[in-house]
Amino acid sequence: MTITRRGLGLGGAGLAAGSALGLALPALAQSEPLRVGWLAALTGPSSAPAVGFNRGVMWAAEALNAAGGVKGRKVEVITRDTQGDPTKAVNATQEMISQLKVHAIWGPTNSGESLATTAIMARGKMPNIHPCVVNSLIDPKKYPNAFRIAPSNIQWDDAVRNYTTGVAKAKKVAVIGDTTGYGVTAANDSAAGFQKDGAEVVYKANIDSTQPDMTPDMLRARNAGAEAIVIWSVSTGMIARMLNTRAKMGWDVPFIGHPSLSSGEIAQLIEKPDYWKKVYCIGYRSCSFDANGKLPPRNEELLRKLAGKINLQDTLLWWVACGIDAVNLIADAAAQTGSTRNDDIIRYWNGVKSWPGYYGEYSWTPDEHNGYPGQDVVMSDASSGRNGAFALAPGYA
Amino acid sequence: MLASILASGLAVGAVYALIGITYNTMFATSRVMSFTAGQLGMLGGVLGSLFILRLGLPVLPGLVLTLAACALLGVVTEIVAVRPVLKSLDQHLYVLSTLALALMIQHTAALEWSTEPQPFPRLIGLGEGIWEEKYWLPVAACAATILGLEYLYRRTLVGRAFVAIAEDNYAARALGLPERNLRMASYALAGAIGALAGFAGGQLLLAFFANGPLLNFYGFIPVALGGLGNNRGAVIGGLALGLFQQAANFLVGGIFSSVAVFTLFILVLLAAPQGLFGAAAARRV
Repeated sequence: MTITRRGLGLGGAGLAAGSALGLALPALAQSEPLRVGWLAALTGPSSAPAVGFNRGVMWAAEALNAAGGVKGRKVEVITRDTQGDPTKAVNATQEMISQLKVHAIWGPTNSGESLATTAIMARGKMPNIHPCVVNSLIDPKKYPNAFRIAPSNIQWDDAVRNYTTGVAKAKKVAVIGDTTGYGVTAANDSAAGFQKDGAEVVYKANIDSTQPDMTPDMLRARNAGAEAIVIWSVSTGMIARMLNTRAKMGWDVPFIGHPSLSSGEIAQLIEKPDYWKKVYCIGYRSCSFDANGKLPPRNEELLRKLAGKINLQDTLLWWVACGIDAVNLIADAAAQTGSTRNDDIIRYWNGVKSWPGYYGEYSWTPDEHNGYPGQDVVMSDASSGRNGAFALAPGYA
Repeated sequence: MLASILASGLAVGAVYALIGITYNTMFATSRVMSFTAGQLGMLGGVLGSLFILRLGLPVLPGLVLTLAACALLGVVTEIVAVRPVLKSLDQHLYVLSTLALALMIQHTAALEWSTEPQPFPRLIGLGEGIWEEKYWLPVAACAATILGLEYLYRRTLVGRAFVAIAEDNYAARALGLPERNLRMASYALAGAIGALAGFAGGQLLLAFFANGPLLNFYGFIPVALGGLGNNRGAVIGGLALGLFQQAANFLVGGIFSSVAVFTLFILVLLAAPQGLFGAAAARRV
């Protein structure tokens, strides 16, 4: 056979095209690690959740690798500390997509950052799981790549409202938020929800969280006849001041609302431990102790596995469990599809039904990317924290 | 309700007044509005909590160490953020330099202390209800500061030298007064006064890194209301601000109380641009 210059050129071009089309990829793909991008606000003012998530992420990756990885492929977590800054989160997202070539991204873990990065990930068709609550972050048409594994604001709102009117039997409520964007929006949405359900919002206010004296607002709420105070704020200082004021007024109205009501910081700021009674915060059935002081069996087992390896005294169990679930969901997509292509991971997640995680059982469809089961959002006794978990509030079976 | 307005209004007002005096003390010898004043107040609460609650020191050594640390920071402010820009006061570069230092102080406090409010200890354990010490301590601290400053400025040589520098620093220098040392001393004094504000108001404001901007802002209003450099004006302005703010909290509440405060502030400045107790600035023609 004569080898002509033209033949050699065509053959070379064919080989190059074949490589580009992926004919040589399987061997490479089977050996390269599964790269998980982890956008974490590990330092800065809002770092507590990400620190907790991170413990779960690292534990899950180590457990997977110790068991031989995902079909023989090592799981590599690539972390970028965003410091809670949307600009840094955007830069890290760009880096992960274009330079680090991660296969999926977990995070960011706060809504401010997520609002900045979601559209960028959608443009890059990057499979993304996050736990941020802002409703607009999930839209399967605009962001077909984004999946939520925590409740949305609507689910939080529903849980608080159902408990306030259904269990606490309060028909007249005071809804109080702080003056941040979140506090104002959440308080407005919550008040509208109560009114829609036939409850009377007798007092609604947004309080500057640095206001030293909460007596004016608490007096107005009491004079208006409030039977429960619904709180939407992450400010532990404001919450503690309100609890101190409630006690000094000799008023035993229940406080119901945001998970920050259970923050350990509050224990240090209230004047007496009793002032933290009758305070119920949003919690999760998977991470709640029952009347016998037991978690659901799957998470009792998790506690045993984590014992001595992860400190749960200064964090929340659901943060750790959610971090574990996120890594496992990415690994499971790669294992089940045998692929780390974006489309395959997203297609797999779109078909997930009652996926058994530690934090929840997630279900997604092509039209619904809110994966957390609403009935598992419950209210917890805010002062009952132990091992990062809480007792169910009174009224639950 | 009236008792509550008076108790917490006067307490918060006294803290604002002390921050106003901090501004004035720094201004008197340098003609610089240093925006580190609020951060000194914030540090008064944070360091007080650190020394007494975390390190377990008794109250008095805790107070002395807090005042000393903030006095030192006052001197650092003079060296780092004020002295380099004194030659170009008309360009108002001190706004940038003091704001930059204030931000550095605030971020350091956030990183090294906590981003969440921390408890401040009960200091004496006297009083209940509206007579609780958290309400009267700031007022007592404010009264003691004013009396102390009056004594210093009227009865001591150093105090008279401060006044001389404040009146005319060129003439004071010509008379052989050590202007730079006196300026540093006044910044140290201002640091201690700012720290006292945060320490006395610690039970109200908590030990919180974010108190700095709040105190910067609300502490500036008494200065503007009372007239720049006028300590008695700052005290009256501060107490009036605290009472008005607390009354607005009771009557209109929430965000609207801040709107009410700033509306009044703007109205007063429109009516008396030099402040209620300040003299109109003379202009050489």
